[in-house]
Amino acid sequence: MPEQPEVSIRNLSKSFDGIEVLRDVDLEVKSGEVVSILGSSGSGKSTLLRCINWLETPDRGEIRINGERIGLQDKTQKPMSRRELAKVRTQLGMVFQSFNLWPHLNVLRNVTEALIYVQGLKKSDAVERAMAFLHKVGMAEKAASYPATLSGGQKQRVAIARALAMQPKVMLFDEPTSALDPELVGEVLSVMKDLSSEGYTMIIVTHEMDFARNVSDQVVFLEKGIIIEKSAPEIFFHSPRSERVRRFLELDKVV
Amino acid sequence: MDGNAWGLLLQGAWTTAWISGVSILLGVFLGLVVALLRLAKIPFLDQLLGAYISLARATPLVTLILFIFLSGPTLGINLNRSTAAIMALTLNTTAFNAEIWRSAFNNFSKEQREAAMAVGMTPWVYFRRIMLPQTVITSLPNLVNEMSFLVKGSPAIAVIGIVDLTRVTNRISAVTYDPLPPILAAGALYMAMIGLLVWGQRIAERKANRLAM
Repeated sequence: MPEQPEVSIRNLSKSFDGIEVLRDVDLEVKSGEVVSILGSSGSGKSTLLRCINWLETPDRGEIRINGERIGLQDKTQKPMSRRELAKVRTQLGMVFQSFNLWPHLNVLRNVTEALIYVQGLKKSDAVERAMAFLHKVGMAEKAASYPATLSGGQKQRVAIARALAMQPKVMLFDEPTSALDPELVGEVLSVMKDLSSEGYTMIIVTHEMDFARNVSDQVVFLEKGIIIEKSAPEIFFHSPRSERVRRFLELDKVV
Repeated sequence: MDGNAWGLLLQGAWTTAWISGVSILLGVFLGLVVALLRLAKIPFLDQLLGAYISLARATPLVTLILFIFLSGPTLGINLNRSTAAIMALTLNTTAFNAEIWRSAFNNFSKEQREAAMAVGMTPWVYFRRIMLPQTVITSLPNLVNEMSFLVKGSPAIAVIGIVDLTRVTNRISAVTYDPLPPILAAGALYMAMIGLLVWGQRIAERKANRLAM
């Protein structure tokens, strides 16, 4: 028996107002694997990521996290209750392009809030765990600061710590560096690189070609809602099968 | 004005203050409940609440108070004056507060909600820990504004015979034949009440600013 994939996506389709954004997408991500999803804007890559934790509801298809179905009841195919959905989501950590920190809570409480009110940890245990993860992303000294006082890179590192502290099985990154000033991109990528070498399973929507090349185990290229290339980075970046990917990579070189 | 007149005036001020105070507390809370029920968009109930809000906002306070006070006996309920006054003020202010809460909820950031869903918060936990604390702060100026409207509209309760801070000035001048001093004093007391509300709002805002929002 082959190892059960950490994330399995089958026949995923999604339309917005009659326009097909994803069409029959299949993807399997093994434990410890880092998958980069590339594609031009509007290709459906963010939608794909957001479907994985059901922030978008797919029209068709199924998604399993460690064999467990998300979004729909396995037996009846009926939508999960919000409570059931919330429970499955704790297995997935998500990092957003615009950080999405909660501005009324300081850095520490941004991390502890879900530990206390979702996982039911005692406050002292939550603080201890939160500080460990803030330390990991280099934000422990800023624990008492409020998000409004942080730089974009610092905010994103806090957001990563917030997601990691829930100890999810899979981390989802939705263009985590796209909203950052160029000089702040490095600090976030270096945290993500550390995570990949620690064996985290990660699915990353990104425009950072170097990062995708050096860190991923699998690179996926989406075009108009279809996966047109899925290969190891060595193959993807040096001898892609599709003409479209070749053009995409050339454009990147020119810019 | 002698000591007796001052005593009457303060009694009137107390009547205005406690009836307004109770209505404000009820109105802020019930307004929140109405706003949440409307956000849930429950068929029929939503239209019903929408109709209530339009009606309550369009009815003059004096009319509403008279209606409640006079319709009580017809329905076999014996309302005392204070209860009728509180009911009318609450019905009126709840409608305005519901709209204040609702617009704050509708304008709340979708991104923060997604972050809460992504860490596995249920809608209730998200509401309680993330959305409500922030909407309280953003709604506060409008809520306090509505509170001061209520205090300033409260002389309407005199129509059913309650001797409030405005009504009492008539009583005093009927004895002293000098209407100006009690009216001026009443004006000062109203300003003090509104001032207290605004002062409370400033303290809350300063606290919120310290959170660097």
